[in-house]
Amino acid sequence: MDFLRPASWQEALAAKAEYPTAVPIAGGTDLMVEINFDHRRPDALLDLNRITELREWETGRQTVRLGASVPYSRIMEHLRAELPGLAQAAHTVASPQIRNRGGVGGNLGTASPAGDAHPALLASGARIEAVSVRGTRMIDVDDFYLGVKRNALAPDELIRAVHLPKATGPQAFAKVGTRNAMVIAVCAFGLALHPDRRTVRTGIGSAAPTPVRARVAEDFLTAALADGGHWDSGRPPAPSVAAEFARLVAGAANPIDDVRGTAAYRRHALGVLARRTLGWTWQAYREQDRSPACA
Amino acid sequence: MTDTTARPRTDGGVVAPAGGAVGTARTRLEGRDKVTGAARYAADVPFDGLAHGWLVLSTVARGRITSMDTAAVLGMPGVLGVVHHGNAPRLHPAGLFGPDGQLQLLQDDRVPHVGRPVALVVARTPQQARAGAAALTVTYAQEPHDTVFRAGHPAGRPAPAAPARPDADLGDVEAEIAAAPVVVDQRYTTPEEHHSAMEPHASMARWEDGRLEVVDSNQGSFMVARVLATLFGLDQEIVRVRAEHVGGGFGSKGVGPQLVLAVMAATLLRRPVRVALTRRQVFSTTGLRPATEQRLRLASDSTGRLRAIDHATAAFTSTIQEYVERNTEASNVMYAADAIRTRTTVVPLDLPTPGWMRGPGAAAGSFALESAMDELAQAVGVDPVELRLRNEPSAGPVSGLPFSSRNLAACLREGARRFGWADRDPRPGTRREGRWLLGTGVACGSYGAGALPSTAAITARADGSYTVSVGAADIGTGARTALALVAADALGVPPESVRMRIADSRLGAAWFAGGSKGTASWSWAVTAAAADLRERLASVDRVPPDGVTGRGDTTDAIGALGKQERQSYGAQFAEVAVDTGTGEVRVRRMLGMFAAGRIVNPLTARSQLVGGMTMGLSMALHEEGARDEALGALVNSDFAGYHISAHADVPDIEADWVEDVDDSNPSGIKGVGEVGIAGTAAAIANAVWHATGVRHRALPVRLDRVLESGFPAAR
Repeated sequence: MDFLRPASWQEALAAKAEYPTAVPIAGGTDLMVEINFDHRRPDALLDLNRITELREWETGRQTVRLGASVPYSRIMEHLRAELPGLAQAAHTVASPQIRNRGGVGGNLGTASPAGDAHPALLASGARIEAVSVRGTRMIDVDDFYLGVKRNALAPDELIRAVHLPKATGPQAFAKVGTRNAMVIAVCAFGLALHPDRRTVRTGIGSAAPTPVRARVAEDFLTAALADGGHWDSGRPPAPSVAAEFARLVAGAANPIDDVRGTAAYRRHALGVLARRTLGWTWQAYREQDRSPACA
Repeated sequence: MTDTTARPRTDGGVVAPAGGAVGTARTRLEGRDKVTGAARYAADVPFDGLAHGWLVLSTVARGRITSMDTAAVLGMPGVLGVVHHGNAPRLHPAGLFGPDGQLQLLQDDRVPHVGRPVALVVARTPQQARAGAAALTVTYAQEPHDTVFRAGHPAGRPAPAAPARPDADLGDVEAEIAAAPVVVDQRYTTPEEHHSAMEPHASMARWEDGRLEVVDSNQGSFMVARVLATLFGLDQEIVRVRAEHVGGGFGSKGVGPQLVLAVMAATLLRRPVRVALTRRQVFSTTGLRPATEQRLRLASDSTGRLRAIDHATAAFTSTIQEYVERNTEASNVMYAADAIRTRTTVVPLDLPTPGWMRGPGAAAGSFALESAMDELAQAVGVDPVELRLRNEPSAGPVSGLPFSSRNLAACLREGARRFGWADRDPRPGTRREGRWLLGTGVACGSYGAGALPSTAAITARADGSYTVSVGAADIGTGARTALALVAADALGVPPESVRMRIADSRLGAAWFAGGSKGTASWSWAVTAAAADLRERLASVDRVPPDGVTGRGDTTDAIGALGKQERQSYGAQFAEVAVDTGTGEVRVRRMLGMFAAGRIVNPLTARSQLVGGMTMGLSMALHEEGARDEALGALVNSDFAGYHISAHADVPDIEADWVEDVDDSNPSGIKGVGEVGIAGTAAAIANAVWHATGVRHRALPVRLDRVLESGFPAAR
């Protein structure tokens, strides 16, 4: 196995073009486990740890450009206000040691449906900055996950950063595991309220071959909130609306039975998480300043 | 400290004077070395010319090896040899307690289960050995296997009786049950569980000047050396085994497969060989707690006084060694009843051989008995603490023997007081806090105590120091420190003047760190050696340059002990919260009160008890080995899949003890390693019932089981 250690981003892109089967490694928190268990044996590893800009982020007027290797612990410490859903999800990633090493680029690169960052990325409407020697393209997160552990990157592309809209409203992330920490999600759910556009977005983890949005549930809730005048009044949606939203979220999943839980359990728990996150986010929406100027 | 001879003699030469070291909290002697990384574990010790062995494990659950392509592997970089059934040294029958089929490695072409070592690839580096092991092609003639355990399995047979505790047959169980107004009749199951010690097993073996030297990770170097000598047909005098630091054992570190294979390779290749297991290999090759299925029938009168206890248990074993999981021990000693019957069945399957795992027998047995007691309390309408007090026996319920000491009642009363039990509303499913339902539960536990023959020596030096030599093992328990305190008091000197030498087979015969009898056994020998030393010192004017040595051997004293019931006891209280939406169970607090004899070092004793309770919490909610029926293999053989409790699962746990004076052993020590896990799982499951109104008789109490049990029934 070759170990490539580019000193710069340009060298990294050149190396990836020359060795398209080389697997990028940054924190290594996922990839090293796979190598250790002999689940994969890449021809080459492409070490991105010398490329410091991958561990940096820029906060713009409307978006955060989050370097692919910014560790989860930094997201928790510094981006709680801008990216509350992702920061909450970061809290549930493995252990402090892993959170100091792992970043969103790794979750996207391995594209495991159980990756904790995915629901927040889906709910916020992230875009992935994919770069190769041929140039840069932005991939909408909705188009990024293609199958179990397969993503939309071309063989010569690397993830430079993730662009996330700064939160304009409350966001929440919830995860069920078979223990209270250090756990692969049985299922996970992210919800973001977008009061600026008067829409909601969702993300489901660990309950389908890929991370998915619950689009029918989003459309239902968006319409119900508009029809009921909830964005202006701040009144919480009726229990029947929350229940229908939960039912539609559960229906959007396509789970399996495995050692962590049954498909039936996952569907049920997703519905519970959907109802809860809706309650939490709406409560936060009511409590924040909703003067007409910024509603 | 040169004037040791001026100190008073001990009373009767055995009982220590009150020196004040025992009973005072002390940090571990080797604590600094451990936290700074200076302590070397078996896989850390360097040796010149060290080669590395890597296990090759069977991938079928039953069959024969038909071929092994060693030639291709022998040509690989760095590979020095492949040990397999065609070239391995022939072994003699041997084991810690009689011949053990597990140790007969690479002796024939039979494959008894998935994960049985079938070869060892030895190379210059661990990486080369691993590559060789991965490349070794083994072909099998596969045979149909059976790895699915159940109590009624046709292969089941009655277990041979335990020498000291045959099946109970007190009174007429059926008649009592037929006549009793209240009967609980339920089945309880526990899954396969794994020890999961932090340090994976590792051994180094080398021949030097015609002597076999071993650096090992084990629970008793003397007994390991004896087994090794028998196994390889060697004089025990030429076998030296050491295990200076051990990162946990929980019963799994007897004579490990890595040790036998390292000795084989060192013998064949004539160079030092180390074999260090990976975590997955630890899961496959170093024992487990077998799954159990237990039927409990309790019959009582209308006040809760027990008329009958009928406890039948079944557990699996392998086809190569009969391991018996003795779950019914507690039913023999916990409660008085007019009739008590116990039965134990073993079911041999194509699975790895189970072994002792912390609280063997008691951990799973107490789950069944103490859950059933909670069900009886519910049926009779008596508080579960009161129910247990009403059935407190005055002598061994089955044996009729006196208790050496027993203070379970004080554990229950003091525990109930501290926990705030008196205010408890017995009705289930009525306490709600937001999305959580709350409940509390209680359960008791016991574990056999006593001491087994050991030897020790103490050398007084001219500089005023004392060197204690005893074949003890410190597997993280704090035994080394505890024995220093015992020696200091027995000698009447400060602990700082005592140096400890342990974990070396050359230090003489000693019991191992097991059965909660290590510290009691070694302490007795150390106390006897101290008495002998003080007599010798009394007859010299001053300590000569090469020192004066006193020796102790407890064989005769232990042989002369009268028959008694000897157990540690405990009462555990737990509060849980159950998420009404997801079925997640969170333990909020636990309190364990124990009656465990004399506590040598409160700091490490508490750590042992809290550790046992934590392991019990893990057993209650998380631990479950999952096997694939088609392959017979463990699916979750790593810590991503096999869950032990994480810090975030472990709440405020408190362990404390009540006065418990056991005069039957001069050290008064009972042992605290295992009683901490006895009863924990039942206390938590009982609390889940109190929270939700749904009884969980299958461990672990998984969130999907909680939800799919019709929960919350009482909402």
